[in-house]
Amino acid sequence: MKARKSTAIVIVTSLLALMLSACGGGNGGDNDANKADASGNTDSAATGNEAEKEVNLKFWAALDPSTDEGKTIQAKVKEFDEAHKNISVDLQVITYDILHDKLVASINAGDAPDISWGLAEWFGEFNNFGALADLTPYVDKWADKNKVYANVWDALKVDGKVMALPNYLGIRALLYHEQILKDAGFDAPPATWDELLAMSAAIKDKTGKEAYGIAGAGVRSPQELIMYLAQNDVQLAKKMDDGKYKNTWLDNPDELAKATEVFKFYQDLQANKTITADAKTWGWEEEDQNFVLGQYAMVVNGPWIEGRSTENPEGMKDVKVAAPPYKKTPATFMEIAPLYVYNSDHLDATWELAQFLMSADYQNAVNPSKAPRNDVVSEAGWGKDFMALADQGVVFPTVSLGGITKAMEDALARTMLKNDSPESVAKWLAEAINKSLETTNELSGK
Amino acid sequence: MTLRERRLRTAAYWFVLPAALFFILLNAYPLITVLWDSIHFKNLLNKSLSGFSGLSNFKEVIHNEYFAKALWNTVVWTVLSVAGEYAMGLVSAVALNQQVRGRSLFRAIIIIPWVVPIVIAGMTWTWMLTPDYGIINLWLTKLGIIDKPYYWLGELDTALLTVVFVNIWRSFPFYTISLLASLQSVSRDMLEAAAIDGAGVRTRFFRIVMPQLKIVSLTVIFIHVIWTAINFDFIWVMTEGGPLYASETLPIMIYRYAMESYNFGNASALASMMLGFMICGFILYYLFSQRKSRT
Repeated sequence: MKARKSTAIVIVTSLLALMLSACGGGNGGDNDANKADASGNTDSAATGNEAEKEVNLKFWAALDPSTDEGKTIQAKVKEFDEAHKNISVDLQVITYDILHDKLVASINAGDAPDISWGLAEWFGEFNNFGALADLTPYVDKWADKNKVYANVWDALKVDGKVMALPNYLGIRALLYHEQILKDAGFDAPPATWDELLAMSAAIKDKTGKEAYGIAGAGVRSPQELIMYLAQNDVQLAKKMDDGKYKNTWLDNPDELAKATEVFKFYQDLQANKTITADAKTWGWEEEDQNFVLGQYAMVVNGPWIEGRSTENPEGMKDVKVAAPPYKKTPATFMEIAPLYVYNSDHLDATWELAQFLMSADYQNAVNPSKAPRNDVVSEAGWGKDFMALADQGVVFPTVSLGGITKAMEDALARTMLKNDSPESVAKWLAEAINKSLETTNELSGK
Repeated sequence: MTLRERRLRTAAYWFVLPAALFFILLNAYPLITVLWDSIHFKNLLNKSLSGFSGLSNFKEVIHNEYFAKALWNTVVWTVLSVAGEYAMGLVSAVALNQQVRGRSLFRAIIIIPWVVPIVIAGMTWTWMLTPDYGIINLWLTKLGIIDKPYYWLGELDTALLTVVFVNIWRSFPFYTISLLASLQSVSRDMLEAAAIDGAGVRTRFFRIVMPQLKIVSLTVIFIHVIWTAINFDFIWVMTEGGPLYASETLPIMIYRYAMESYNFGNASALASMMLGFMICGFILYYLFSQRKSRT
C-alpha cells in the first residue's frame, strides 16, 4: 500500500513538473553560455562562447509578406542569417493589429522576443515594464551613429539612455490630388488652416468632392491631433523639473485657449463640410482608401501611400506632396517606428542584427523613402519631399501612452460626435491626460 | 469497508484525478486569482503601488465615468439579443416544422449563420453596413427607406442596436434547432384532439405547444443569457465598444482595463463584480421559480 502511495505521488509530481516546465519561458534558457557583457563590443558575437554555440534570435516583425517591401525584408534577414554562422534568426511575421498584445503578454510572461518592430506609442509602456535593454554602450560605439537624425535619437532616449532603435520614419506631409485642386481653380495647396477652410466650398461646388480627410477614430487620430496641437504651439504633456510629466493647459489660460482652437478647428472642418460627415469615425483604413480612390482632395498622411500607386494608378497619378497646413507654427507628426531590443542573455548577437537592420545597405533596400538615416534619402519618388519635413517633426512624450491616446480619441468623439464645446473638451482632455499620468506614476508634482 | 470496496474507491480517485487537476488548474486557480487580484493593487505600469487594496479597485471601477453606461449597455445587449434570438428561433422553428416542400434544405440552410466564425461574420457585416460602399445602405437608399447612406456602426444612437441585430442574425439558428427538436416531440394526436374539440390555432399553440417547449426554452435562454452577457468578440470586431463607448459592455471594459491600461486590479474587480451580478441574477430567478412552483 505504501509503495503504491509513493508511486502515485511520484507520478502526480512528475505530471505537475512537466506541465509547469512546458509553460515556462524559454528566452535565453538554451543560450546560457552566451552571456553578453554589454560592453558594446560588436565583434563579440563572433568570439568566445557565442562563436562556438549558435544563438537563436527571435525577431517579430509586422511586415506584409505579400508586398515587395516585405519580400525584400525577408530576403535581407535571410542574407544576414547566412552570413552569420553563429546566429540564427527566427523571423516571425505578426501584424500590427495583434503585435502589441502579443508583446505585452510575452514581456510579462518573461518570454519576450530578442528584438521586434513596434510603434512609438508603446515606448513608454515597454520602458515602464522594464523590458527594454539599455543600448547606450552599443550605440555610442557604433560608427554610423551620426548618420541617424539627431531628433530621432532624442525621441528614443529615456533619461539620456538609448532604449530603442530607429526602424523607419513615418513623417507626415500634406498629400493632395493636384487635378482636383486645379478643377476647383487652385494652383497650390493651402498653407494654413484658414486657407484650407476657405478653399473647401469652392472644391465642393466645382468637383462635388470634399476638400480634406481626417481620421476621427482609431490609432491614427491621436497622431493627427498631436500634430494640430503642435501647429498651434500646444504640448500634450511637458517634462517638468522633477523629470516627470504634466499637462499644463489648466494652469495656463493661453495654452487652454490654443488647445480650444484646435478642437474648434475640428468642428469647423465638420461645420463647413471641409470633411465628409463620416470622417468623424473614420479610421486609417477609410482615410487612406478614400484618398487613394480620389474621393476627396487632401490629407495629411505618410509616405507609405506611395505604395498604393501600383494597385490604384489612376487615382494616385496626380498626387503631390507639400507641407501640412498650420495655424501658428509649421509642424508635422513624425512617427518613429522603433526596433525594440529586449533584455536577454545575448544582447551582443541581437545588436549585430539590429546594426544590420539600421545599416545603409538594408535601409536603401527596404526604406529608401522613409529611412531614419540622413545618408539614405531617395531622389526618386517622395523620399526627398517627406524628409524635408523631418526638422518640424513632433513626437509623443515618452510616457505610457495607452490611457492618453484613448483620452485623445475620446476628446475627438466628444468634439465631433457629441458636439461638446471646444473649451470643455480641452479641459476634459487636460484632466484625463493628468489622470492617466497619475495612474502610471508619471505625473509631476510641480 | 471491504478490501474490494477500498480498491474500487482508490481506482475511482485515479479516474477523477485528471478531471480534478484540469478543474484546479484551468478553473479554480484562475477564478481564485481574479478574486485575489481584485483586492490587491496590480498595475503593470505602476509597480510602486502594490499590496492589499481593500475595496479601492471596486470604488475606482464604480466611479469610472463610463461604468454605468457599460452596465446599461450590457443589460440592453443581453436582453434584446436573447429576446430577439428567441423570437426569431421560435418563428423559424414553427415554420420549419410544417410539411412544406424542400423542408430539409431549408433546415440545412438556416444553420449557416451559426457556423460562420464570429470574426468573419462581424467583419462581413461591418463592410456591408459601411456608408461608402456597403450593400445595406445601397439597398435601403434604392428602396427609398433612407435618403442617404447612414453610418449604422458609427453613430451614437445606432451602433449598439446594429450589433444586437447582427448578433441575433448569427445566434438564432441555435434556438431554431433546439426548439425544432422539441416541437417534433409534440404529440400530433393531442393537437388533433384539441382541434376537434374546437381549439383554434392560437389556443393550440399557447396551451399545448408552448408548455411543451418550456424546458428547452428555459435551458436555451439560460445558456444564452450567460453567453451573451460575457460576449466580447462580436462587439470588439464590429465597433470596439465605440463610438464614444456607445456599444461598450462590461467585458469590453474589462479588456480595456487589462490590455490597454494594464490595471489588472481594476480588471479583476470588474470581472468579480460581473460574476456577482450573474450569480445574483440566477439566485433571484431560482428563488422566483421555486416560489412559483410551490404556489
